[in-house]
Amino acid sequence: MSVNIDHLKEEHHQPSGLMRWITTTNHKDIGSLYLWFSLLMFFVGGLMALVIRAELFQPGLQFVVPGFFNQMTTMHALIMIFGAVMPAFVGLANWQLPMMIGAPDMALPRLNNWSFWILPFAFTMLLSTLFFESGGPAAGWTLYPPLSLQGGNSMPFVIFSIHLLGASSILGAINVIATILNMRAPGMTLMKMPIFVWTWLITAFLLIASMPVLAGAITMLLTDRFFGTSFFTAAGGGDPVLFQHIFWFFGHPEVYILILPAFGIVSTIIPAFSRKKLFGYDSMVYATASIALLSFIVWAHHMFTVGMPLAGEIFFMFTTMLIAVPTGVKVFNWVATMWKGSMTFETPMLFALAFIILFTIGGFSGLMLAITPADFQYHDTYFVVAHFHYVLVPGAVFAIIAAVYYWLPKWTGKMYNETLGKIHFWMTTIFVNITFFPMHFVGLAGMPRRIPDYAVQFTDFNMIASVGAFGFGLSQLLFVYILFLTLRQPVTAADKSWEGAEGLEWTLPSPAPYHSFDTPPKVD
Amino acid sequence: MTGIKSTITKLSLAVVAMYGFSYALVPIYDTFCEITGLNGKTNEIAYVANDIKEDNRFVTVKFISNVANSAPLYFEPSVSEMTVQVGKPYNTHYVMKNNSSKQLHTTASPSVTPGKHAEYFKKIECFCFNQQTINAGEVKDLGIQFIIDNELPNDSGDIVLSYTMFDISNNIKETNKL
Amino acid sequence: MNRLSILIISMLAPLTTLADWEVNMSRGVSPTANAAYDLHMLIFYITVVIGIVVFGVMFYSIYHHRKSKGAKPASFHESTTVEVIWTVIPFVILVGMAIPATKTLIMMEDTRNSEITVKVTGYQWMWKYDYVEDDVSFFSKLADSSNEARQLGSKIDVNKVDNYLLNVDNEMVLPTNTKVRILLTASDVIHAWWVPEITGKKDAIPGYINELWVDIKEPGVYRGQCTELCGKDHGFMPIVVRAVPKQEYTKWVSLNQKNRVADKSK
Repeated sequence: MSVNIDHLKEEHHQPSGLMRWITTTNHKDIGSLYLWFSLLMFFVGGLMALVIRAELFQPGLQFVVPGFFNQMTTMHALIMIFGAVMPAFVGLANWQLPMMIGAPDMALPRLNNWSFWILPFAFTMLLSTLFFESGGPAAGWTLYPPLSLQGGNSMPFVIFSIHLLGASSILGAINVIATILNMRAPGMTLMKMPIFVWTWLITAFLLIASMPVLAGAITMLLTDRFFGTSFFTAAGGGDPVLFQHIFWFFGHPEVYILILPAFGIVSTIIPAFSRKKLFGYDSMVYATASIALLSFIVWAHHMFTVGMPLAGEIFFMFTTMLIAVPTGVKVFNWVATMWKGSMTFETPMLFALAFIILFTIGGFSGLMLAITPADFQYHDTYFVVAHFHYVLVPGAVFAIIAAVYYWLPKWTGKMYNETLGKIHFWMTTIFVNITFFPMHFVGLAGMPRRIPDYAVQFTDFNMIASVGAFGFGLSQLLFVYILFLTLRQPVTAADKSWEGAEGLEWTLPSPAPYHSFDTPPKVD
Repeated sequence: MTGIKSTITKLSLAVVAMYGFSYALVPIYDTFCEITGLNGKTNEIAYVANDIKEDNRFVTVKFISNVANSAPLYFEPSVSEMTVQVGKPYNTHYVMKNNSSKQLHTTASPSVTPGKHAEYFKKIECFCFNQQTINAGEVKDLGIQFIIDNELPNDSGDIVLSYTMFDISNNIKETNKL
Repeated sequence: MNRLSILIISMLAPLTTLADWEVNMSRGVSPTANAAYDLHMLIFYITVVIGIVVFGVMFYSIYHHRKSKGAKPASFHESTTVEVIWTVIPFVILVGMAIPATKTLIMMEDTRNSEITVKVTGYQWMWKYDYVEDDVSFFSKLADSSNEARQLGSKIDVNKVDNYLLNVDNEMVLPTNTKVRILLTASDVIHAWWVPEITGKKDAIPGYINELWVDIKEPGVYRGQCTELCGKDHGFMPIVVRAVPKQEYTKWVSLNQKNRVADKSK
């Protein structure tokens, strides 16, 4: 993402080299920082997944002791959620939102810089706990007490780093909302905004409402452990289940935070490569808003087995089933966009199409999980692991990859190699299914989650999943290769790099200038 | 610029409010359970039985005991079940013995199942209202006096009353739960 | 109906008979397990049908509406009628699912009229069973043969271990054709008790008591595992239930009443 910086150095005494990246307040630079950071964390989290899958390749313990295995599952989730997916979406927001609304930068550029630089600091702290004598966190990313209160010296560091990650997200969300609500080019009403901007606006509100609740929950864990409170211990009049309620009140909106920007990306890419406007723009906006609102009243479907009163079980079953309606509406709208379009299948489109199919499969297992009496058999088994990996990997991650391929020419002025991109797509898609589809089977057959070793009848599908995981990991090395190869190309991309692309960013040159829309464009 | 400032101010207030909300969830949780009668929690303050009359229904109450974290305590109900008349007060007790060689401070936490019947199980006096101090080798009788409220729905089955005894010697609180 | 749909349906149909190849839940041996299975299959079939329809339309479009085939893009991009239709129809389908689901849930949560009560307590990392009326009490932990084999670098071939990771030293014995109420709690952290063929799981929470009921219709040995992360040996605290006719159960009770764990003597 290099830009002609020398001219700027003269005029603005801009630093170069390392100091440029540490002090930058430019949304394009910060977007790149977030994206590279997220790619790095994706590999760190991926490595942990491979430790998990290596151990689960066969029954018996071959590589790690159970305590360390639990650290791997815990950290894998924390890294992927807070270190890979969320920062990637923030990186895309940073790069795209100002250009898409015709603004020169984000509303709060210095806060933007801070929001990013918190992350490497927080993750260094989090990852360092793996090297403590008592080890890193091992109670699952969900940190349920009393188990999480048994944690060693890593606990305060884990909680502090999660506070920092939350702060980074909250500050980013404030920035996004302030930008979108105040800095749109004249003539761009809310209902004329690109759909990706809408999904990020709604995601930012979800972040504001839910991340502080996580902060409260983990602070309560901290004081229960060190300062004599008893929020979650029955001895002191508390209740371990209270933590689950507070955590999932955050946790469910969080999973929608992980997917709504992906919906926005798919809603951008499908129309571009179908050469046809998004079907039902208004409907898509309302559906996204409905999903966001509903996400606050479904949380206890993560807790169906705690012994909730029947009325609670029924209420949450109904609301959870209900959330399938707006989600289905979105899928139908995407298909209607494709219908009678004129489609080509470049790499971004391939990833977007795979998203629709595979995310929908994840949605189906989600609907099955919503049915409480059936969930009594699915809960805490690999069926759940299959569900959420389907919605997160061929869901969120595919959308991020699609977005990178799609906007790379705009960011760099260079075209990636389309043949290699397609190979990356096919390898990734095939291996993702080999990895996660068998997990439905072993889950239904009775294999619990978060175990380092299993009964021998689960062997075959676990072997297949482990092979898939290694294949998937290797395929992502190809992605890195493609990125670096692209950066070595000459600048050849057109302003409008894709025939069907629409939006203000495509009126700018490729690569987009370091400062764009210093004067707002005209929007009709 | 003021548009941005106004947005930031409102959002920052919202963030603080949501942080406060997570703490508010603690009493909200308890209040919600009290009002709706959901959850398996029984009264934490001694119940004064004024308006309850005996009626001709009978309920079997089962008594269960647990010791948390493998503390060195023997803790069992003196009887494992009683068939009681609704609206009439009854007495029973649990037996606790300190099997260690140190004085221990303990507290018991009650839980009722089915949870929806917890609100009808009224404790007039209960050892769980207070903490206990028990010397090494000492044996204590821990009494409860209870009454089943008339409001108990018809056709309810057995009620199970369970106590979990915790050794809290390491984190003694000066205040008792009353 | 296009060839793809026929292919998919014929591929999926035999899946329901593959239970012994472990791709599906077992139908189970109790009313609650049966009900969960039936509901599971119903929702599964509905999602398969929806998937075939939606993906069918997608694949058709991908094939026919390609630029390389000369397709020219249409210009329609909204329709309130269509939006209403594909909001209402899924809603109606969901209502159709919710009715049997609610009925099943109510049935599962009704523990009244149980004949015997067993209190199950989760420990790190084993279970304790207390038969409340029958006065039997014992711990149940992973069998030694499995425990030795599962150690890191044990060099024991786990495929040769009897019911590896699903075997215990003391089995929980229950009578068949008897409604049994299971009370659940824990001593230290949250665990969950699950024997899939007998019933769905429930959490065992320290300081609190939960309950579920089972009524095992067929004698046999049923195996399950702890299903709530409870520390390093979460994967190593299985459950084994041996269901026997009532007479055998009574005999087992009288044999074991003498082996009480708690010492009642003052």
